[in-house]
Order: sequence, then structure tokens, then C-alpha cells
Amino acid sequence: MAEGDHHSIEDLAANFDHHDEGLDNIFSTYSELRGKCPVGRGHKYGGFWFVTKYEDIYRIEHDSETFKVAPTMIVPPMGNKRPMIPIDLDRPDNLKFRRILLRDFAPQKIDAIGPAVRSVARQLLSNVPDSNEIDASAVLAKPLPTIVFSRMMGLPEEDLPLFHDWVDRIVYVRTHDPEVSRRTVDELYEYFSKLRSRRLTQGSRDDLIGHLLQGEIDGRPLTEDEFSDYCLLLFIAGLETTAWTIRSSLWYLAQHEEDLGRLASDFSLIPTAVEEFIRCFTPSQGMGRTVTQDVEIRGKHVSKGDRLLLLFGSANRDEDEFPDAEEVVIDRRPNRHMSFGLGIHRCLGANLARREIRVALEEFLSIFREFRLVDEDSPWHGIGPLRLRVAPATGENK
Amino acid sequence: MKIWVDPRKCEGHNRCVARAPDVFRIDEEGYSSAPEGHLSPESEEDARQAIRECPERAISIIAR
Repeated sequence: MAEGDHHSIEDLAANFDHHDEGLDNIFSTYSELRGKCPVGRGHKYGGFWFVTKYEDIYRIEHDSETFKVAPTMIVPPMGNKRPMIPIDLDRPDNLKFRRILLRDFAPQKIDAIGPAVRSVARQLLSNVPDSNEIDASAVLAKPLPTIVFSRMMGLPEEDLPLFHDWVDRIVYVRTHDPEVSRRTVDELYEYFSKLRSRRLTQGSRDDLIGHLLQGEIDGRPLTEDEFSDYCLLLFIAGLETTAWTIRSSLWYLAQHEEDLGRLASDFSLIPTAVEEFIRCFTPSQGMGRTVTQDVEIRGKHVSKGDRLLLLFGSANRDEDEFPDAEEVVIDRRPNRHMSFGLGIHRCLGANLARREIRVALEEFLSIFREFRLVDEDSPWHGIGPLRLRVAPATGENK
Repeated sequence: MKIWVDPRKCEGHNRCVARAPDVFRIDEEGYSSAPEGHLSPESEEDARQAIRECPERAISIIAR
């Protein structure tokens, strides 16, 4: 909704959309909803109750009996005919499947792969042609998470060019052409199923695919479908969200010279700033739940079977939790943002995402200490191009 | 001061160890725990900050 439009709060609630053009002014939409309609009914995507307040979402995320994820946590669905593993599973299966890969995403493991992440970022940036204009999405934000993820998974490097197209068709096309994303998910099921057959004929390897093939649920190996359902989730979660946050961090810095200067001259500020970028530019704006019994949420009667949309992007800007919530404060502490979700469905890859964003910013700022948006209207959200006017590269990597 | 990480609440966000690396221990699955005895006086402020950073509200002060 464009600024200055006259709309009733009822219309704003009924037409609420956390995707596509809905994202352009979503922070002012959230602010209005939190004030006048903190829990309300939207009609898009089959209909849902949205929840905008931090405390409400905190409580719901910690009541996994009343609020289940089945049939899927994603609103609207990705077009997957079976649940994605583990996010679309409730207790107790959720934890059984998570445990197979918990070790791979623990901080010790992320520390161990840190240097490899950095060398990928350096390699990508060393290939940037000398020019005073670059597309930061194309040179860094999109390829870094894709390459890091593919290597952790053990996916063939020659398949990399396929991945961006798959992500676009699943994540971005689904809101207006669900049939395309459904077909694309089928392609991915087939891709992972073939990969599994191939890997089963080879020796065991120390990567995520290897760990999924060795992993057990109740004393048995994963079925072919479960393997593909787990891979599909890792694929969707691992690429787009991290790319989004790297891009939006640079989008912000391109417009805030003072913050850019502070980070560029003192990298020890970057980890805390990364948390703030993750809070403010939340790549997963909302996640879904299904209500298993009639409940009241902030005075609204929600019936058994209704779908809820938990708006992390709104909770992250709730003044009752964050002072000056609409401001990006790069040294904000504490910062209990909800971007990775809370409770039993907390994002498995959170530590990896943090590391990739941190390294991306460190490496980018070590080469480009000053940059501005070429197009002042480029959106804060998504993984589209981010054209930056840069000072000639002078960093030590050049 | 003694603190405690409730293992039923910790979901492995690791914000505590990011804020107070000398206080918390992270197991190989990523879950946090705090030392059983009293913290050294110089660790107390770090521990308090970690308590405020925990998104699950899993850490509490159990003795002053």
C-alpha cells in the first residue's frame, strides 16, 4: 500500500500480504497493525490469523501442543506434496530428525569451516572486474551461500548454476503461480533421489548428504522420501535467506555512511551489527502454525483448525521489546530478535547464516570502504540485483 | 553469583556464549550449560548480559 493511501484498518488486515509488493511498506503496515489490530484475519493464501506482537509470538512458539506446524510451516506452501523435514514435523519426530544434523551446525563446527567460508568470499570478490559499478547480489550475496551450502552438503559443483533458478521458481514464483513451484519441487525431489542412489554406490563421505545417509530414526535409516524431504528443506533454507540478509545489510550500509565508516574501520563491531541487520531485515517475515483447539489470542477467538501466521518481522520491530524498534542501531544490545524462530523449531542453520553474513561483510568492506546505491528505489527485500557505485577497489585482496 | 541454564528451554541459539564465552559451555549438539559453582566476580556482568540476550529466556540467577 503506497504511503498516503487512505485505507481502513479492516482493509489493511484483510489484505495483509507478507510477500512481493506487500513487503515494500511492510514495516509501516506492521506498526499500524500492532497499534490497532495486533491479531487479525487476512484472506490471502487460504486465510489465516496474523499475530504481530513479540510476547504473543513468544508464547505461541513455546506451546507446541496447541500450535502445531502440520501440514506445513510455510505460508503459502512451497508446492511440496510431503512435509519438509524437519520444519513441517511436530513433536516428537521433529527432534528425531534434527538430531541427525545438530552437530553439523553447532558453533564448534561452524568455527571449523569459518576459514573455508572466508576463502570462498575472497575468491568471489577477487573476480569482480575493476569498475565503479557492481551488482553486490550477483558478485557476493547470492553465490556465497550457494557455494558454502553446496560444499557442506556435498553437492556436485557443476550443478551450481541450476540452484538459483530453482530457488527463484520455488520461493518467489509460488505466491502468484503455485503450479510452477509445485513442478520445480518435483524436479528437486527427483534430483535428490538420483543423488541418493549415486551416493549409496560410493563410499561414505563426511558431508551433510553422508550424515543423512548414515543417520537413523528409531533405529532405521531414512527412507528415500525422507532423505529428499530433508534435502529440500536444507536447500530452501540454506540459500535464499542468507543471500537476502547479506544483500539487505549492504543495501542499508550503502545509505548510511556513518555506520558504514564505523564498521569498515572496526571489524569487531560487525557481529553485533549482523544481529541488528538480521532483526531489521528479517528474511523469513512470517511462519505458519495450525491451531489444535479453540483459543483466545489477544481477545480474538481462534478456532480449532485455523491457520496462524506468526510475523517475526513485526515482532522484531515491537516497541514493547525493542527500544527505538524502527531504528537500525548497529551496536544494539540486548537483541533478542526472532528472525530464526524460537522454541523447538529454531532455525538449525542460524550459526552458519550468522557466520556467512559476518564474513561477507568483513570481506566486502575490506575491499569497498565506500559505496552508494545506484538506484535509490532499489527495494530493501528479496534477492534481486543490488547495484552499488563503489570507489575504485583498493583493498589488500586486489 | 550462581546461574543455571534450563535444559528444557535452551534451543541452542548460542547467544550466551557469544556474549560471555568464558562462562558458558556448549555441547557438541549446540546446547548450553553454565558452571555449577559460583562465577568469578569479573564474569558476573558478562553473565547478566547473556541472560538478557537469551531469546528463550532459559538462563536464571539461582544464587546471589
